Amino acid sequence: MATTALTPAASAYRSGLYEWLTTTDHKKIGILYVVNSFIFFFLGGILALGIRTELAIPGVQFVDGEVYNQLFTMHGTTMIFLFIIPMLVGFGNYVVPLQIGAPDMAFPRINALSFWMLPLGGILLFLGFITGGAASAGWTSYAPLSEDRTLASVGSGQDLWIMGLTLIGTSSILGGINFLVTIFKMRAPGLTLFRMPILVWTVLVTSILQVLATPVLTSALIMLFIDRNYGGHFFDPATGGTAILWQNIFWFYSHPAVYIMVLPAMGMISEILPVFSRKPLFGYKAFVFATAGIGALGFSVWAHHMFTTGLVFLPFFSLMTFLIAVPTGVKMFNWIFTLWRGKLTFSTPLLFAVGFLSMFLLGGINGAFSAAVPVDFALQDTYWVVAHLHYVLFGGSVFGVFAGVYYWFPKMTGRMLDEGLGKLQFVMIFIGFNLTFFPMHQLGLAGMPRRIADYASNAGWNDLNLAATIGGFLIAASMIPFLWNVFISRRNGKIAGDDPWQANTLEWATSSPPPPYNFDHLPEIRSERPLFDLRHRGTGH
Amino acid sequence: MSSSPGTRPSSGSIIAWIVAIAVLVGLGALLILNGPQVVASFFPPEPKTAQGHAILDLYTIVFAIAAAIFFLVEGLIVWTVLRYRRKPGDDELPPQTHGHNLAEVIWTVVPTIIVFFLFFVSWQTLNNVEAHAPKPDLLVKAVAGQFQWSFQYLPADAPPDAKPLFTVTAPVGPDGGLTLPAGKTTHLYLSSPDVIHAFYVPQFLFKRDVIPGVVNQFDLTLDASDAGQTFRGQCAELCGTGHRIMLFEVHALAPTEFDTWYQGKLTEAAASPTPAPSGGAPASGGPPAGPALDLVAQNVKFDKSDLSTAADAPFTIHFDNRDAGINHDVDILDAGGAKVFDGKDFPGPAVQDYGAGPLKAGTYKFECSIHPALMFGTLTVQ
Repeated sequence: MATTALTPAASAYRSGLYEWLTTTDHKKIGILYVVNSFIFFFLGGILALGIRTELAIPGVQFVDGEVYNQLFTMHGTTMIFLFIIPMLVGFGNYVVPLQIGAPDMAFPRINALSFWMLPLGGILLFLGFITGGAASAGWTSYAPLSEDRTLASVGSGQDLWIMGLTLIGTSSILGGINFLVTIFKMRAPGLTLFRMPILVWTVLVTSILQVLATPVLTSALIMLFIDRNYGGHFFDPATGGTAILWQNIFWFYSHPAVYIMVLPAMGMISEILPVFSRKPLFGYKAFVFATAGIGALGFSVWAHHMFTTGLVFLPFFSLMTFLIAVPTGVKMFNWIFTLWRGKLTFSTPLLFAVGFLSMFLLGGINGAFSAAVPVDFALQDTYWVVAHLHYVLFGGSVFGVFAGVYYWFPKMTGRMLDEGLGKLQFVMIFIGFNLTFFPMHQLGLAGMPRRIADYASNAGWNDLNLAATIGGFLIAASMIPFLWNVFISRRNGKIAGDDPWQANTLEWATSSPPPPYNFDHLPEIRSERPLFDLRHRGTGH
Repeated sequence: MSSSPGTRPSSGSIIAWIVAIAVLVGLGALLILNGPQVVASFFPPEPKTAQGHAILDLYTIVFAIAAAIFFLVEGLIVWTVLRYRRKPGDDELPPQTHGHNLAEVIWTVVPTIIVFFLFFVSWQTLNNVEAHAPKPDLLVKAVAGQFQWSFQYLPADAPPDAKPLFTVTAPVGPDGGLTLPAGKTTHLYLSSPDVIHAFYVPQFLFKRDVIPGVVNQFDLTLDASDAGQTFRGQCAELCGTGHRIMLFEVHALAPTEFDTWYQGKLTEAAASPTPAPSGGAPASGGPPAGPALDLVAQNVKFDKSDLSTAADAPFTIHFDNRDAGINHDVDILDAGGAKVFDGKDFPGPAVQDYGAGPLKAGTYKFECSIHPALMFGTLTVQ
């Protein structure tokens, strides 16, 4: 198979903590990203359990008002900015240079810089909890609630939130530029754009979104900081500002950010489905165009978060929002027809990938309800929206992330994760996820608003809330087999070999884990599946 | 090649079948036991306004199309997954299909047609819901401040900043809330003095943000059959620590009853002059002296609903505001509603001693002037 018999001298890796702190190797940085993101995933998860515990039964039992607001603000902020986005960047970091046959990212030291801004930003965000209260105006931090201390009980937490997000945003911009240069300039000979793995395509489009949209968020953050600390009047109507301006700028970033959070996960799924069905991806080019289409349309739908403000031109944003369903649907059908008539091996990565398909489908379809503006008048800011966003970001991105973990763990460590524990985790998380978030559709329809710590016991929301809380704890419990799996498999897992899955792309042409310079030798690249070609000598093409 | 994971007996397929069967059995049992209620839970509440009926019609169209697509595609996924499992020991490659242009065209064009259809029906409904009657039967301005609703009834055709005929300050209860004539059209202005709130009544299937610096407006036509009913409303946009307590009620009255209520309110307003805004009220009270009355404000509530003190003697209100970042104060009103003591408001957590009195014997009302509907009690002076 691949020519990796000559393992380089082990001394190429300096051992120990110093190496991890100073590394510029994209693979180590990728692993740092993944580990750091998982730490924040667990922190954000604990915050979510706090929310679900309070809401389990009516009445205020544990947290109320200010503390409750901090819980959901920090939960959202953490999961979006410190878990999903960096987690996907981490996989991109590890996999993209390998998949394009490059020795490293284009700017290895900038790569290290982008990573180290993340834990720093995260610490700033969480510092609020010990300096008198973390940010509590929601992850969206709508002005003027987020503006000054008399309107909401927001102490230094809100300022720390602004500083933390500015750092994380800067990291994102640098990372985006790094990926763009790497993908455009460092591809191996023969790897034309239309032979790139779909994951590389999705990272490419994501990077464009990051580079174009994140500076807009940064400007909004700086304006908010000036308003809060130096008497600016950008967003406070009491002093001549415009409250709605914040929403326009914030969502101009944060809607494309939804695609930053889901496109690379789609890319990972698109790597996994063909491998485990032993077929090429159905409609490769259509897939590329759909990805680009989502990226482009993603910039014209931000105001669908603002339908109930009465201050946006509704028909335009409604139409654009509906239209984004088209390229998403194209992807869905291409994925299904990749499986169609394949020979499916249900290893854990494929289980999570199919979980992604079936759950993301619901997250896409329930999004169409909100695109119908008058229906959105009923659903906006209710638990329906919470259900929708979690079906996209948890049912979509998080399932994609776990598919990726099970798929690339052998490459990263040289050992396989245990299949039994993996399947156990999948069943637990799949049931827990649906038990948590499906009832939220009904809660939203019944009129339960988001972001409330309590509800009337006669409102008819008791059973569904209790179900959601039980589901939340089941999701948390599903992390036990996962962590145990990682813990034991890292040392004692089955030896993976170069290519345990009989995969298609270049990262499987080198050793597991790869040497610091990645490749001793690259196979010829004549299609988007160079390893398949190598294995089958061009048959089936 | 030899280490292919597919050669093992496929425990995945067993799990897939178990999950699929468990889901089907669970859903089937739920439907059989509780069918109509389960179906109803996927729809919004029965609408109570003309606009709400239009929205429900649209919801039903979107729901029907969405459900059809969901079951079709989800069924396709489940069937594919169950049908095309690799048999143990089967090492032959399946046909290597790279794509199909006609298929791509079909699943691009058909969804495009569907979304254009959905867009046009929602646009039509939107025009219907957003329409403003040229001559509404009633004009009301709903004011949403942290964390309280009040409703100002305005003269016909008045601009949003017009002087109200009368104001209902309590957001809930028989004497509070938004009282409207059933079967008639009310035009609402929305106004906020502080942060963004949202006017939301689930049974109207409608919400609209209340944005400081902007006056939003919409029409509301209650069904004639609503007379006598009360609907629960709630702020739907995060507005701070007290967001969840920002409730209000909408009372629907038959037109004749509404007229009686309306005339009563007008007479009441004419009898007592409009109170001066709190800033202009005479600040009273001197340095703290006399016996101290303890009063705590927490979660936008006073800890006591009854206080008492001696007549004709100064006293001190030891006021502990424990709501971080929220302003509270204590005002004392006589039986006629006139302010006899006006404490200055301040944000918590903080403690202040208000020097008040002396007051004549009698029964007074004390309240927080910022949250009068939620924070009030009786002061007995004897």
